[in-house]
Amino acid sequence: MNPKYPIICSPGQRLCQANKQYIAGQGTYEELGYIYSKFAGTVKVIEKDETYTIEAHGLPDPTIVPAPGDIITALVTLVNQRFAKCDIKCVGDVTLSKKYRGILRREEVRATEKDRIEMYKSFRPGDIILARVLPMTEAHTFQLTTAEDELGVVIAESAEGAQMVPVSWTEMQCSKTSIREPRKVAKVVPEDVALGKK
Amino acid sequence: MEQRNGNPVLQKVAFVRGDGRSPSEIRHISARLGVFGQADGSAYLQQGLTKVLATVYGPHQPRGKSAGNMLKAVKGIVNCQYSTAVFSFGAGVRKKRPRGDRKSQEREQQLRHAMEAIINLELFAKSQIDIFIEVLQVDGSEFCVAVNAATLALIDAGIPIKDYAIACSITVADDVTEKDEEGAQDGGSLIDANWVEECSPGFTLSIVSLPKVVDETQTQSSLILAHGAGRRLHLSRLEALRQRALDACKDIRDILDAVVRNHLHTHAAIQSVEK
Repeated sequence: MNPKYPIICSPGQRLCQANKQYIAGQGTYEELGYIYSKFAGTVKVIEKDETYTIEAHGLPDPTIVPAPGDIITALVTLVNQRFAKCDIKCVGDVTLSKKYRGILRREEVRATEKDRIEMYKSFRPGDIILARVLPMTEAHTFQLTTAEDELGVVIAESAEGAQMVPVSWTEMQCSKTSIREPRKVAKVVPEDVALGKK
Repeated sequence: MEQRNGNPVLQKVAFVRGDGRSPSEIRHISARLGVFGQADGSAYLQQGLTKVLATVYGPHQPRGKSAGNMLKAVKGIVNCQYSTAVFSFGAGVRKKRPRGDRKSQEREQQLRHAMEAIINLELFAKSQIDIFIEVLQVDGSEFCVAVNAATLALIDAGIPIKDYAIACSITVADDVTEKDEEGAQDGGSLIDANWVEECSPGFTLSIVSLPKVVDETQTQSSLILAHGAGRRLHLSRLEALRQRALDACKDIRDILDAVVRNHLHTHAAIQSVEK
C-alpha cells in the first residue's frame, strides 16, 4: 500500500475512517469516528494481521532527550559534600539544543571504596566530564554515574587557567605550573593515538 | 451621487471600499515558515500591510517562577508574549513601550487561550511552550494576524495540534441607516478590517475559530473566542456577523494550508535529495 511518493498531510486533515481495521497510531487522533492528523508531514500506513495503523510523522527531527544508558558529556556547575550538579551538553555525538540538569551523587563516583570518596578531590566546578545516565528518579533531573574506568573528568583547568593533563587515574597536572590536582580521571584514549590507529 | 454624512472613506460607491476591496474580500496574505534558525518554530505572516513575526520555543523545562507551580501540574504550560514594535504605527506615532501595557496583556491572555484550545497539553506534562509575537507593522486586525502566525509557527516547530486556529475580524460601519438594516442583516459589514475601517465609528468583532473540514462541500466551524470593540451592537445582527466571519476563516485556512503544503514540498524535496 505504500505509494512511490509520500502522502503529505497538514494538521487537522482527515485521513480515513476509524474502525476495527484502521487504527489511529502515532501523530494522529480519533474524533467522531474519523482519524485526523496532528502534524504537518507525511503519512505512513503499517499493515499487520489485516489491520492498518495510520501514522503521521512531522518533518522536523524530534528533540533528543537523554535516555538511561546513554553516555553524555556534562559541565560541572556545583560541588558539595554529597553530590555534584551538572549541565548536560551532549548525548553521544549530538549536541543538545536545550540544557538539561544532571546530578552526580557521591556513591556514584567510583565503583570501589565508596565510603572514602571525597567530592572535592574528584570534581571541580567548570570540569567537563563523561558520565552515564541512570534511570530517572526525580523530575527535571537526570541521575548520572561515573563508576566506570572510561568515565570521569576529561577536560579541566587549573587555578591559573591553563588546561591540565591527566597523569594518572586520580591526578591531573597543570601544563604551565606543574601543580598536581586530584580528579577522578576518565581513561580516554588520546585523539592522536586513535587517529593513528585509523 | 450625493456624499453622505460620516466617514468619507466608507462611502458605498459601487460597493468598493477605501482600499479597493469588496466587502467580502480578504487582504493579500503572504507567509513564510522557518525564518529563524535558532528558534524551534518561526513564521512571518503579512496580511495587507499588517506584518507579524511569531516564534515558538519548546517544549522545554519550565524556568523562572512558573517552575514552582509545575510540580503539581499534569498538563503543560503555554506562555505567550505579545509585543508591538515602537515603530509599527503610522507616520509620527510612536509607542513608548513595546509590551507590558494593558492592551498587550489582554491580548496575551486571549492568544494563550486560543493556543491552549489547539495544543494537546496532556502530551507535554511538566513542560512549557513559549510563543513570542512581534507586530512589525499595524494596519488593522493585527491580533487576528498574530493568531494565524502563531499557528504557523507551531506547525513549523513540529508540535502536534488539532487543527489550524484561524482568526478573522469583521467591522460594521456606522453610516448604515435603518433602511439598509431592514433589507440585509449583514448590511455594511466589512471582512478583514484595515486600520482606517477599524478606527472609524462602528463595531469590530474579532473571532478565533477551528474551521474543521467535514467533507469537500461542508465546513463545520467551532468558535474558540470572540472579542468585540467599539460601540454597541444590536443582538439580532450578531449571528449574521458571526457566520460571515466564520466563512472568511475558512478561506484564510485554505490559504495557510497551501502555504504549509508548499513548505512541505520544498522541505521534502531537500530531504529526498540528501538521501
